Amino acid sequence: MASYLARRIAQMALTLFLILTVTFVLVQAQPGDYASFYALNPDLPPDVKEQMRATFGLDRPVWQQYLIHMRNTVTGNFGVSFGHFPRPVLEVLAERLPRTIVLFGTATAASVYIGFLLGKAIAWRRGGLLEYTATISGTVLFTAFTPAFALTMIWLFAFRLGWLPVGKFLDPLVWRDADVTSTSVFSFMLLTAVAFVGFAALVLFISGRGDRIGRRWPATLALAAGALVAALAWTLSGIGPLALDILKHMVLPVATLTLISFAGTMLLTRNSMLETVREDYVTAARAKGLPDGQVRDRHAARNALLPVVTSLIYSLIFALDGSVIVESVFSWPGIGLTLLEAVRSEDLPLVMGAIVFIGFLSLLSHLIVDVLYAYLDPRIRYQ
Amino acid sequence: MAEAGGRDSAGGGRAAPILRVEGLALRYLTRQGDVRALEDVSFALARGESLGLVGESGCGKTSLANCLMRLLPDNARLTGGEVLLDGEDVLLLSEDEIRSVRWRRISLVFQAAMNSLDPVYRVGQQVLEAIEAHGVETTATGGRERVARLFRLVGLDAGVFERYPHELSGGMRQRAVIAMALACDPDIVIADEPTTALDVIVQDRILRELKRIQEELGISIIYITHDMAVVAEVTDRVGVMYAGRLVELGETASVFGSPLHPYTEALMSSFPSVTGAKRPLASLAGEPPDLADPPPGCAFHPRCAHATALCREQRPPRVGLGDQWAECWHPLAADAVPLGGD
Repeated sequence: MASYLARRIAQMALTLFLILTVTFVLVQAQPGDYASFYALNPDLPPDVKEQMRATFGLDRPVWQQYLIHMRNTVTGNFGVSFGHFPRPVLEVLAERLPRTIVLFGTATAASVYIGFLLGKAIAWRRGGLLEYTATISGTVLFTAFTPAFALTMIWLFAFRLGWLPVGKFLDPLVWRDADVTSTSVFSFMLLTAVAFVGFAALVLFISGRGDRIGRRWPATLALAAGALVAALAWTLSGIGPLALDILKHMVLPVATLTLISFAGTMLLTRNSMLETVREDYVTAARAKGLPDGQVRDRHAARNALLPVVTSLIYSLIFALDGSVIVESVFSWPGIGLTLLEAVRSEDLPLVMGAIVFIGFLSLLSHLIVDVLYAYLDPRIRYQ
Repeated sequence: MAEAGGRDSAGGGRAAPILRVEGLALRYLTRQGDVRALEDVSFALARGESLGLVGESGCGKTSLANCLMRLLPDNARLTGGEVLLDGEDVLLLSEDEIRSVRWRRISLVFQAAMNSLDPVYRVGQQVLEAIEAHGVETTATGGRERVARLFRLVGLDAGVFERYPHELSGGMRQRAVIAMALACDPDIVIADEPTTALDVIVQDRILRELKRIQEELGISIIYITHDMAVVAEVTDRVGVMYAGRLVELGETASVFGSPLHPYTEALMSSFPSVTGAKRPLASLAGEPPDLADPPPGCAFHPRCAHATALCREQRPPRVGLGDQWAECWHPLAADAVPLGGD
């Protein structure tokens, strides 16, 4: 496993290098550079413009820029953003990347979860009303034009009904008197989520070790207590309303993304499960006298999960790709929107930085899914 | 009715039957029409007895096994009969009640070739799952000890608990499946082609062990197979099925020694005998009938050398000779007498 991981990481580095090179060429292929935005500004004397170009290194030959850039990237120096001057690229990304990860992570988790639940339900009971409703609405949503559907959602829930904010990350009115930054509140929220997931995993692990068969309440109680403690901590901290504001802004984009993509997982789960229900181990599970739900979940659906996990790679990468469109429509200040702005303004260091991290995330999620797959299917072992 | 009573005592010679199947009929609804998978199947199984069910593929052997456990597909319809387990009709039980019959009272040994072990769980876990589902043990340690005992019983190493099915050989998998079938101390084990996928040596060893376990635990076993050698080796009585009907039933030795039904004879002459005289193998001409549109009269008449006009028109009566009976107009033993009740 260790040598496998080492090999995979080396491949990832090579892939990243190729991505970076291609991106650099593409940005260079655009006419002009960052300074040319100021070329037509009559208030700037020509020598100031030249000085700007010299400061950013844009006066050097392209190959030199490329080499300098690559050297800096390798040493972890992503430079300074032109557009957000003088903030370093890393600082801009550190603020925006988590927002994208949380938004799309939540949406992907929700759509895979809902898709899997619906998929296994409609495969288990064929021909019901649920099957027709879920299949038709899921397919319609799946094939809908993303920006149009996102705008419809905004129109309906934010404009007509007024239930949710139109877009953006937070409401300035709520934050006017706040003495904390949105980034730190967001970090706390993230920390809480991670801590709770870790706690839940620990509780489930410990309860699985117990000797009594079929006793569930201690684990449920522990989880409820954990949730209560977290809720209490947030209420007492005084920044609860701020976190709530961020959550409110997340609802619409997450719902939109989930609705658009759940059908993919649903139809895949359904097809995969129509295969597994015919397997002999499912008959064997029924013959063993297991309750219907256990036969479905532990055997039929558990095995149907394997191809679904493979498809997770595509959904994750699709989500990162789609972040450019969805974040623009919802004005969500994540990495997609940042990338779009940076490309438009030829903010070369920021484009490169954003691409490095998007590429890295794609490759990392690919690796995680592969490892997860080996964990879920004992027949697969890497060496 | 005296004869009918005598017929029943064929199954209950040793003790009161644990299982009695009466007039069982099953159909599958298909687009081509109803397939009559089982017609009027009746037999009894005594405690500790081993019964063989033989016949060609598609004769209804597996459908019969599935009826006993009520593991039927959605398009199956039971159109008659009863399956009495200790006097209680399994076919009338609710879905919840049948769950406690499955594995607890009647369990199944699947073919090794069939993937009856779930590939993503450890073998021991899958045995444990049955134990937990029926509350046979209440603690995890108790469950694990029970699995270890079962593995010892079938000759498996305790380490197999932590192995995945793909890490085991065919013979080991088959032993694990047998251990699984015994997990909840069932009264009856149905072994559906238990050794078909194994090589002859492993097959023989597994059969011997099944027989030893059966004697040790006093369970009844129904062997479903098309392999006459298996039947001859391990069963007390044998039932021969053709086109969804039980056409002959009796002590294994007498059915093999002097079959009453021409189909039984044809089936046996298509198998080589190791100990008997060398003879050419006779293969039975023709195909089993289409059960969506079975021939009138005796279903075997299109392939039968002894068929007459009577066979083509009317259902054959049940004729008996001692404990053995067959459904035939022209039984091979002249001294077979018609049985009442039908």
